[in-house]
Amino acid sequence: MSVRPGPAAPRGADGVASAAEHGTPRRIVIVGHGIAGLTAGDTLRAEGFDGELVVVGQEWHAPYSRPALSKAMLSDPTATGPEPEAQALAAPSDGARVLAGRSAVRLDPTARTVHLDDGTALDYDELVIASGARPRRFTDSPDELTLRTLDDARALRRRLVGRPEVTVIGGGPLGMEVASAARESGCDVTLLQRGVPMQRHVGAFLGGMCTAAARERGVRVVDATVTAVRPSPAGGLRLELSDGTVLAAGTVVTAIGDEANVEWLAGSGLLSDGRLLTDERGVVAPGIVAAGDVAWRRTGAGLRRRSLWTDAIEQARAAALALLHGPDAAPADYAPYFWTEQFGLNVRICGEVPAGVTPTVVDGDLAEPRALLQWEGPAQGGAAAAVNFRISVPRLRRLARPAAVPA
Amino acid sequence: MATAVAHLELDRPRCEGHGLCEEASPHLMHLDDDGELILDVTDIPEAELEAAKTAVRVCPVAALKLARA
Repeated sequence: MSVRPGPAAPRGADGVASAAEHGTPRRIVIVGHGIAGLTAGDTLRAEGFDGELVVVGQEWHAPYSRPALSKAMLSDPTATGPEPEAQALAAPSDGARVLAGRSAVRLDPTARTVHLDDGTALDYDELVIASGARPRRFTDSPDELTLRTLDDARALRRRLVGRPEVTVIGGGPLGMEVASAARESGCDVTLLQRGVPMQRHVGAFLGGMCTAAARERGVRVVDATVTAVRPSPAGGLRLELSDGTVLAAGTVVTAIGDEANVEWLAGSGLLSDGRLLTDERGVVAPGIVAAGDVAWRRTGAGLRRRSLWTDAIEQARAAALALLHGPDAAPADYAPYFWTEQFGLNVRICGEVPAGVTPTVVDGDLAEPRALLQWEGPAQGGAAAAVNFRISVPRLRRLARPAAVPA
Repeated sequence: MATAVAHLELDRPRCEGHGLCEEASPHLMHLDDDGELILDVTDIPEAELEAAKTAVRVCPVAALKLARA
């Protein structure tokens, strides 16, 4: 990614006093260039911010879509090239100066300075924190793979081509998508998950359906909790399960969630119990907002941190508006939406599936399977899902919140 | 008729029919009853440029593209 001058005259060096001290324009720094950072930049410009925009991004790649990495790309034999097309996103149009390949290592909110790992001290007038998260893992072993970045996806794809035996730890959407791609690549696959895979994300009914599809396609689904993974003296890895069983594994893919990238905020005074909390608009402190996987957002249902594409976008929009318009800006208000592709099932789901409720088939036929499902929920809305059924998000949202839409 | 400043293009094979673009900019596009995306406006005037960019940005499979008019 090239460093492009912003609309304001570029400064000779980073670390000079912020622009506001010399009058206009003011400078907004965005830490993170995933979809949250990109959306924040787009929104700031769309809302008329004409000051200087500086984006700090860890990766060198042009913008890409993370959801695509664990879906089409993992099974695509052509996807090992240098910049695979399938997940490339539109280039940012915000005229930001992009400092790529660098990370923020410290924040001084009193001086309003972000310190970067190359020694740069970057002053800001306002700050957007979108530093994302990283996968949780057990070891540093190259035989334990995780999937978040484009580089991770390529490394995994290269592995799968050799058709190793694959052990997937974690039966959420990511673990199941990886297991599905590994089976499609001809690997022998074992998936370890306590309870029914996918249940926490899509409820018992659809979780059961996904798990049955996985088994039908030859995945060994094992009800187990992994307590430790260690390098084995004989090579490969040893997995220790909570019931005392020890498994040997050559290739392990760990998909047990992520950890927010907040270490650089230690000492900033912005963290509470190690978490970055925001209000419903994404406001952390005056002049500082946060969006995406890094943030715990206050909602009507308590504190939430969800690593979803649409959450990142909605939060980034609300955060950018809050930065420009203050308390007049509307808070982010939306039902979660996500989708997964695994074992021949394309599932799109909106809302939070209420526990203990069996869905109604609104359209289609589960035997095909091609169906539209609806869960009746509490007053604030239930959930709706489309299984191998093309339906737009707005229609799915209406199904998830029938009470909110007059007949 | 306002002058177009950009042209909105759809890469149909890529489109998965999520409809996040419709949700963002419903006056520019919609999904029909079969879940196929229909672009209602392709010649984008200045006043719609930000709405079009927003629709392009939310697509998780980058099926929409804005080209200079």
